[in-house]
Amino acid sequence: MDFDVLVIGAGPGGYHAAIRAAQLGLKVACAEMGAVGGVCLNIGCIPTKALLHAGETIANTRHAADFGLSYGPATLDIAKMNGWKDGIVKKLTGGVAGLFKANKVTHLVGQASFIDANTVKIGDKTYTASSFIIATGSEPATLKGLDVDQVAIVDSTGALNVPDPVPARMLCVGGGVIGFEFAHIYNNLGSKVKVIEFLPNIIPGADADAVKEFGKIMKKQGIEIVTRMKANSAQKQADGVHVELENVETGEKTTEVFDRVLVAVGRRPRTAGLNLEAAGLKATERGFIEVNTRMQTGVPHIYAVGDVAGNPMLAHKAMKEGLVAAEVIAGKPSEQDAVAIPGVVYTSPELAWVGLTEQEAIDKGYKVKTGLFPMSASGRAMTLQSTEGFVKMVVEEGTDLLLGVHIVAAHASDLLGEAGLALEMAATASDVALTIHAHPTLGEAVLEAAESVHKQAIHIVNR
Amino acid sequence: RPVIHAAPSVRRLARELGVDIAQVRGSGPAGRVSEDDVRAFQKGGS
Repeated sequence: MDFDVLVIGAGPGGYHAAIRAAQLGLKVACAEMGAVGGVCLNIGCIPTKALLHAGETIANTRHAADFGLSYGPATLDIAKMNGWKDGIVKKLTGGVAGLFKANKVTHLVGQASFIDANTVKIGDKTYTASSFIIATGSEPATLKGLDVDQVAIVDSTGALNVPDPVPARMLCVGGGVIGFEFAHIYNNLGSKVKVIEFLPNIIPGADADAVKEFGKIMKKQGIEIVTRMKANSAQKQADGVHVELENVETGEKTTEVFDRVLVAVGRRPRTAGLNLEAAGLKATERGFIEVNTRMQTGVPHIYAVGDVAGNPMLAHKAMKEGLVAAEVIAGKPSEQDAVAIPGVVYTSPELAWVGLTEQEAIDKGYKVKTGLFPMSASGRAMTLQSTEGFVKMVVEEGTDLLLGVHIVAAHASDLLGEAGLALEMAATASDVALTIHAHPTLGEAVLEAAESVHKQAIHIVNR
Repeated sequence: RPVIHAAPSVRRLARELGVDIAQVRGSGPAGRVSEDDVRAFQKGGS
């Protein structure tokens, strides 16, 4: 055998798997047909967060007037912003390549295709391995009638290249995490943004109260949100993209004109070209490769991790699964047994959650108590000019066990670390409330939400 | 899969010892399972 482990894909799942396998003494190769770092580093998490930061900084220049700081008219060099973002991506992908080298992971360039269950073809060479980890990720789902040209009609990849001038009228088709992050970016850069969502609610999977609060704030920032609406077709004409919109409930159709249309209606797993059948594998109807909690497919020495192995399609889930697969191959008793996988929308304020929503907890048969602490009562939030949102805690009545934490607040994504640890440690709301949190910090809102479960929050009137 | 009220390191210990943590009765608050609970269960041999 050429390798102990051959990882297919160098995204978050793949590079975590490759590095951990190498750390555990295995001879590892990682095949990648595109750029190392995968979607997350190249055309996903990292570049979007860079643009979100740029947009937030522009918005902050306006808020600074509240404490007497005024600027001349802000000017944005869009080419420079795009270049700065690309520089961060380059630095991080270079970092992954460096980690491969340092860990003696062989980087194979090209599309891997199975010849049999122990052999893949990459380019005109074949390689054998005792184990494989499939980490081929996902790609944007397409929408019939909306043909992506990456200029006027874009998917998330095209949306990363902000045009100059910024589109005056922007439509985001899909009110999920990706749709709202781009809506937020373009809104802050000066576009008039409309988000349409097919379902009755935006950000599916998040807590209803948190989504309601989040939607209210996004609307206040100027983003138009319409639910139960779909886009049937988009035609490029001289004055812009003509989009036929349809109200899902009434069937009423209207045509609106936009300068840029983002299609963000989800992602689909990617297995094309892998020749799974040769390895004895078959994707499910939806395109996923089924795995057990040890990340093993139906063919025990072939593993699958990340987006291709099922929902939720999140980088940190892929990273964890990559580690599990590598450890299992190395003979460790590892398992994907996470209690909760956090979710984050990196707008300002952020929407972030971990664990069960109130409704999910009720549906699972829990008797639920909730606690809520508004950021408007947080001293630290006031000093940061960010008093919108709240921390909501979902707790099991009787045992006081923490079931879920839902946050709409500045830096909610960072506050989530504590909540995630609490859930994994099977903490009670009392455990959180009894932990001294530094003052003044946004994290105190987590403590106070826990206190509020017991109607003992200090900085609000408990009802 | 039932929710296991045990820290990640306790869950890992159970796997290392070949103990099905779902069978272990936790002695901690809210039925939390400790390392000692896992070891005692293994010694009990049941």
